Amino acid sequence: MRDSVVLAGSLNFLALGDIMQLLGANSSTGILRLISRYAADPGFIYFENGNPINAACGTTTGIEAVYELFGWTDGEFEFTKENILTQRVITKSRMGIILEGLKMVDDGQVKRVGPGAVSRKQIATGSTDATPIVKGPMVDYMYVADEEDFFDGEYIVEEGKHGSWIWVILEGVVEIVRETPEGPLPIVRLGDGSFIGSLSSFLIQGHIRTATALAVGNVQLGVLDSQRLAQEFAQLTPEFRGFLVSLDKRLKQLNERAIELRQKQLSTEGYLDNKKPVIKQGSTEEELYIIREGNSSIVRHDEIGQIPLVQLYKGDYFGNIPFLDLGHEPEFASVLANKNLKVRKVEIAKIQKEYNNLSTTFKNFIDNVSTCISVSTRVVCNYYKKYGLRK
Amino acid sequence: MAIFNLKKREIECKVVFYGPGRCGKTTNLEYIFGAYKKQVKGEMVSINTEGDRTLFFDFLPMGLGKIRGCDVRVQLYTVPGQVKYSSTRKLVLRGVDGMVFVADSLEVRREKNMMSLKDLQSNLKEYGKSIFKVPLVMQYNKRDLAEQGIPLMPVEQMQRDLNRQLKVPAFEGSAVKGDGVGVTLKECLKLTLQSLQREFKWAQ
Repeated sequence: MRDSVVLAGSLNFLALGDIMQLLGANSSTGILRLISRYAADPGFIYFENGNPINAACGTTTGIEAVYELFGWTDGEFEFTKENILTQRVITKSRMGIILEGLKMVDDGQVKRVGPGAVSRKQIATGSTDATPIVKGPMVDYMYVADEEDFFDGEYIVEEGKHGSWIWVILEGVVEIVRETPEGPLPIVRLGDGSFIGSLSSFLIQGHIRTATALAVGNVQLGVLDSQRLAQEFAQLTPEFRGFLVSLDKRLKQLNERAIELRQKQLSTEGYLDNKKPVIKQGSTEEELYIIREGNSSIVRHDEIGQIPLVQLYKGDYFGNIPFLDLGHEPEFASVLANKNLKVRKVEIAKIQKEYNNLSTTFKNFIDNVSTCISVSTRVVCNYYKKYGLRK
Repeated sequence: MAIFNLKKREIECKVVFYGPGRCGKTTNLEYIFGAYKKQVKGEMVSINTEGDRTLFFDFLPMGLGKIRGCDVRVQLYTVPGQVKYSSTRKLVLRGVDGMVFVADSLEVRREKNMMSLKDLQSNLKEYGKSIFKVPLVMQYNKRDLAEQGIPLMPVEQMQRDLNRQLKVPAFEGSAVKGDGVGVTLKECLKLTLQSLQREFKWAQ
């Protein structure tokens, strides 16, 4: 199958409108497949002689599906050259579709699917109850040591138990749940390509599971060669390791926020008082900082209010991370701090270089953490809307 | 930058009509679509955006000859001016080869014209182009309204307002009647092709 892929890349770089023009100019016949980490199913557009003739995106088909796919601003695409047997249902001209699609995105008739998309539209329109799903890129089998199957409802890991295995989901959906006095609270759902297990598995102190993972439907998992990953982790510079641990802390804290909101225990205390913005939401900060002294907090400003997300302490990192998209500062959240905060600028180029030198699986693993952060932020915002702050 | 379509042996270039809302960009294109039926290839695509329309169609100018044995196909576009249509604007303005700026002759629209021109400049800049380098032609539209006693700006004033620094060819027009539409387009195509020729000189 894969060898017939003739064109592949990132939607981030080449948007759907451009791909369609390119395929049109080339009069290509085949299938364009789009994968987004923020959508449960891939999208398909069928081309005949450069013209789209049919499409599918989730349950929608035909022209509507094409328009929906215009909202996918982040993801991957691949075009396979093959004969098309599906019937022609789209008759509109290529350029007409592109212009209409882009207009619908600008008008907000089509939902944007990507990091940070929440802060734009979804809060107002999307259903807030559904637990969002996180998917990852294609699995690199080099690191898969063994395969395991779990049946519907089976526990894969349990909160509070010991364990340091890391799995990658080959097929199926896994729900991550946190135990609360009110019963289990779903945090996020993981799909194909996502990882189960956190960075703390590599750390020496404690391999205590921080959440429960539950199979939803039958699930096939790949057990990762964690020895190899841990070795890779150990060889990183202390700075990069600190950076990763700080990311992991962010994710854990976001889950805490969700629980606090569920119990109506969250207040802005400690997040807002006496603090001034160091980085304003929507600004174009380009540096990355590490905290030497004091603390700071990350808060998202939204039409529904100021949502406290994370507290950062000594050794934590904040600022612009050019290679990861957390859906946090600088674009989608502010960093607040009082006068006691002392920071040091981090050489971002060095961090980026180290990131680029990682193995595919490790890179995917970190990307997964960052996607989880962005999605968990959405969950926190949804819970904020549903339950509000402590009265 | 025009696209070479090696399969069809065509050079596709893009001409965009720009201007403030309701200045007659769409009317210009509609007139071209009707009057040059023979040269129009394919259908006209019209997308309704709020209070404005985006138009697109393919246009095959004949008698312009070939460049390096390739037919030249021109794609004519209009673009919605409103800020929120950034995705559409981006797609349309990326790789633009020639532009027509349609200005509204009504006295009350004076400011709108200047703002739109400024907007065009900053938009082009975003895509790495300079308004001084892109082949550009101006059209002072709605001249016919003078007959009905509607106050219009004199052409000299519009030249001063809009064309003092640019010094591009400018034409009076009445898109509703079709006056000046042909010359504007012709001049723009001429400039566009000249600039393409210059760009492709290495190929000679």
